[in-house]
Amino acid sequence: MAGVSVGESEENPVNINVTPLVDIIFCLCVFFMISFKFKQLEGKFDSWLPKGKGATGSVQIEGLLDEVRVAMFWDEARQVTVRQLRNRRIETDQELSQLIKEAHDDWVRMNKPDTPVTIDAEARVPWNDVIKVMNLCKQNHIDKIEFALGAPPPVAGQ
Amino acid sequence: MSRRRKAPTVKEDVTCNLIPMVDIMFLLLLFFLLGADMSQREQADLVLPTASEIKEADKNKTEERTTTVNIQHRQDSAAFSCPVNAQGGFCREADHWVIVIRGRDVPRAELKNQLKAEADENLEPDIDPAAGVRLSAQKVTIRADKAAPYGDVNKVIETCSAVGIYKVEVGAAVPAPGS
Repeated sequence: MAGVSVGESEENPVNINVTPLVDIIFCLCVFFMISFKFKQLEGKFDSWLPKGKGATGSVQIEGLLDEVRVAMFWDEARQVTVRQLRNRRIETDQELSQLIKEAHDDWVRMNKPDTPVTIDAEARVPWNDVIKVMNLCKQNHIDKIEFALGAPPPVAGQ
Repeated sequence: MSRRRKAPTVKEDVTCNLIPMVDIMFLLLLFFLLGADMSQREQADLVLPTASEIKEADKNKTEERTTTVNIQHRQDSAAFSCPVNAQGGFCREADHWVIVIRGRDVPRAELKNQLKAEADENLEPDIDPAAGVRLSAQKVTIRADKAAPYGDVNKVIETCSAVGIYKVEVGAAVPAPGS
């Protein structure tokens, strides 16, 4: 019968060649798949530097004793960081956390709740170990953390 | 009348329907496009130390002008290699660690000038009564590799203080769940 469409080509007279489109999408897919990287969640420890000290570099001598000082040294032979609080070497994180808490609580009992924890680390100490001490302070709800300038005192027992 | 079957034709029209494949590929493409993180070129690819008490960056908060200071180990190349770092150890060679700001290595001698320039771009409107000068409103984020020597971080903090930047924060990674 004339005028009746039978074949597919007559139903869809416009054929779009999708092969180049597939090629391009495939290339783009491969590009993004290779460059894709799961982003690690990052956060921050806020800290505010003292406003009056920077330009002159003066040190607040009278406040030096009102602190909980954690000294950190790099042991080159063992490739570990040695930590010290009140002339006592500390091996585990748990012990350090406990001692920091006790020392800070002593200051709180003396009506000085703002007494800082001062991290006095040697220049070669890995940053990871410093952050670990900061983290322990935050776990004990101690927000005032300071970094000491200059070399830390000598290691206990040496 | 003899019934004669028509001989089967050899010509077969096998057409592959590509439409579902295109649909899926579009979805994949969209996923990877949206997931690609191209915006933070300022942040170098380094292994941050993890901290459970870290404050996650608030994306809804209005962004303050921030300078990111990265402290990372020099990349291995044909001319340079560090076996200690390659094996995941703690490299303590001072010249193997570089300070990178906006994708550019900043020599330690130039750090003060660079941070001073950053600080001067965004000064506080008023003179600070404690400092007696106009401090900088610029914020500095220090992103140091977990194995970076503390001395370099301390130097950046000290320099920030010297050039009038008092808003300093240190970056760390959120630990993976279950670790």
